[in-house]
Amino acid sequence: MSRRVCIAGGATTPFGYPMHITPEAMIANCVVETQHDIPDFHLRDIQFMVYSHFSVHFGKQLCPEWIVHDHLGLVGVPHFRVENGGNTGGSALYAAFLAVKSGMFDVVGVAGWETMDNVTQSQGSEFIALASDTRYEALAGGIYPIYYAAMAYKFMKEHDLREEDFALAAIKNRNYAVDNPKSQWYRGEYRKYKRDLTVEDVMKSRLISYPLKRYDCCLMSRGGAFALVTTEEWAKKHSDGKYVVIDGAGLSSCTIRAGDRLAFPGWTERYGEGYPDMTEFAACRSSGEMAYKMAGIDFKRAYKEIDVAEIHDAFSSSEVQIYKALYWCDKENIKEFLRERRTFMEGDLPVNPGGGLMGFGHPVGATGIMSAIEAYYQLTDQIPKKHFSSKTYVRDAQTALVNSHAGTGTSISNFILRRP
Amino acid sequence: MVEDKRLHKIPDEPVEYPDKHSNDFRGEVKEWGFHFCGYDWDPAEEQFKIYLHYDQLYYWKLAEISKMARGFLDGELWGTQCPKCGDKFFPPRVNCWNLDCELEKTEWVRLKPEGHVHTFTIAGWSGKSSLKRLPFVLAYVVIDGCKTAVANELRGLDPWDAEFGMPVKVVWAPKEQRRGAITDFWFEPADGWKPSPMTPEKERIKELCQPVYEWVKTLK
Repeated sequence: MSRRVCIAGGATTPFGYPMHITPEAMIANCVVETQHDIPDFHLRDIQFMVYSHFSVHFGKQLCPEWIVHDHLGLVGVPHFRVENGGNTGGSALYAAFLAVKSGMFDVVGVAGWETMDNVTQSQGSEFIALASDTRYEALAGGIYPIYYAAMAYKFMKEHDLREEDFALAAIKNRNYAVDNPKSQWYRGEYRKYKRDLTVEDVMKSRLISYPLKRYDCCLMSRGGAFALVTTEEWAKKHSDGKYVVIDGAGLSSCTIRAGDRLAFPGWTERYGEGYPDMTEFAACRSSGEMAYKMAGIDFKRAYKEIDVAEIHDAFSSSEVQIYKALYWCDKENIKEFLRERRTFMEGDLPVNPGGGLMGFGHPVGATGIMSAIEAYYQLTDQIPKKHFSSKTYVRDAQTALVNSHAGTGTSISNFILRRP
Repeated sequence: MVEDKRLHKIPDEPVEYPDKHSNDFRGEVKEWGFHFCGYDWDPAEEQFKIYLHYDQLYYWKLAEISKMARGFLDGELWGTQCPKCGDKFFPPRVNCWNLDCELEKTEWVRLKPEGHVHTFTIAGWSGKSSLKRLPFVLAYVVIDGCKTAVANELRGLDPWDAEFGMPVKVVWAPKEQRRGAITDFWFEPADGWKPSPMTPEKERIKELCQPVYEWVKTLK
């Protein structure tokens, strides 16, 4: 395990709904932007491509990565696509990490996208719900916001939280997205507000599924992202000063149906009776532990060691549940943790300064890569150039956490990035 | 072929299905496959948009869990139980989930049509096919001592009256409407259950539901 794996560059497209650009043009744009940041990078450097795309339903196109791959001119270069729900981006990054770590390849491209604006929002919700067990939950009228709401409501009760506590994450991420020219919130609905969103705005937004309202939920998007995963040797030579090391990587799994995790033997073995129930994300805890261990972080101290995080805020409530799963807070102090705004820019662990899924957007296959790229920009001091200002720049950050999350917590990855 | 009592039997083909109901609930649904309905053109931006409709009939063969679907038609709830560790499941698992049971084949057990609400939510938005019945309560219910909870609609109460832990019963759709799917039944409060008095939280949920009722009225 001596070989160090790096992110040596990458870019995202703007995210939007609708947005007029094909998947192949999105990835081409990302490669071009990456070349502006690291002029030494040429497509000929790529030895292996990992594609990251969730639902072929949106494009009515199987193997859409084949279109992108030959469009880039990469015939002959090995490739495959990773599909792992909302954690598709994180899983593709994980695959690239394995490919470089193993010694098989030195330079691996990760390219992801989604084209969710090809259908209406309600049809899009139903398409995504096809990743739940369609024989039971989806057929009963469930879509992901409903499953998450059922988990969030119980979590809220058990931790004596209020809707307003969740709403803090919703306004935080959207308001940070205003500093990000590519974010869907800034490019879209923000134009109506032209001001920061408030907790009251969230409370007044329409019911999606109690306790979640519209502004507690992420956006449906078209968008793409690209990351260059390399050896440290390559990164140092071609991207000096603009690379980060992936010091920890974890991937874990949980049940497809949230109702099946009340007493799953595999979890009882690891964490004891009654965990995760329907309130905790066990796959987040477990993959977080793997990443922390690999990076030499005592997970009880993780909160102190991480300087910035980009996490999977598909819902304001799940952002909060992730804080707990990653050991940043516990049942006793979660209320203060939220109300003292510890994950805001002025707090000690800024979360989702790039806007997250609620602000930047959630084109599923691109999302985890987008989170990694935002964290990469933070650790390489490129935020002031990539965002409008330095308001969302975490100065001198040494360590970042990237989280990608699927299903009802069914597959979750966590990464620790560090400055070299 | 390997002999092992844990193996699931695959029936010899053809399976005949003499009792056919393939179009009982077809309604207006047509099978088109690829169908290009039209296009839009923006000459200023040179942007072209195509309208594609795609429809497909699937044949889901339930195979080992067929007994569950047959039970739905007959108004019977069937789950499974591991003969080794005793864990009981609904939705049914056809092999035990306990690694120590080494894929022990489970046995079918008839479940009492009752349980309690583990958690729930009040949906104000859903997928395209469920919009008209909003708002509804989706509850995760532990049925008859199972180790798992199953999601289904909780009816027979105002959405804001649902409670954690409340006892519920299984209620079946009229026989002629059943189609062997999870929607053949829903949950209702157990006999004798009474809603608790209004609280600020229930008032808040009621207030959030009102615009949903209004919005649903506007749907065609």
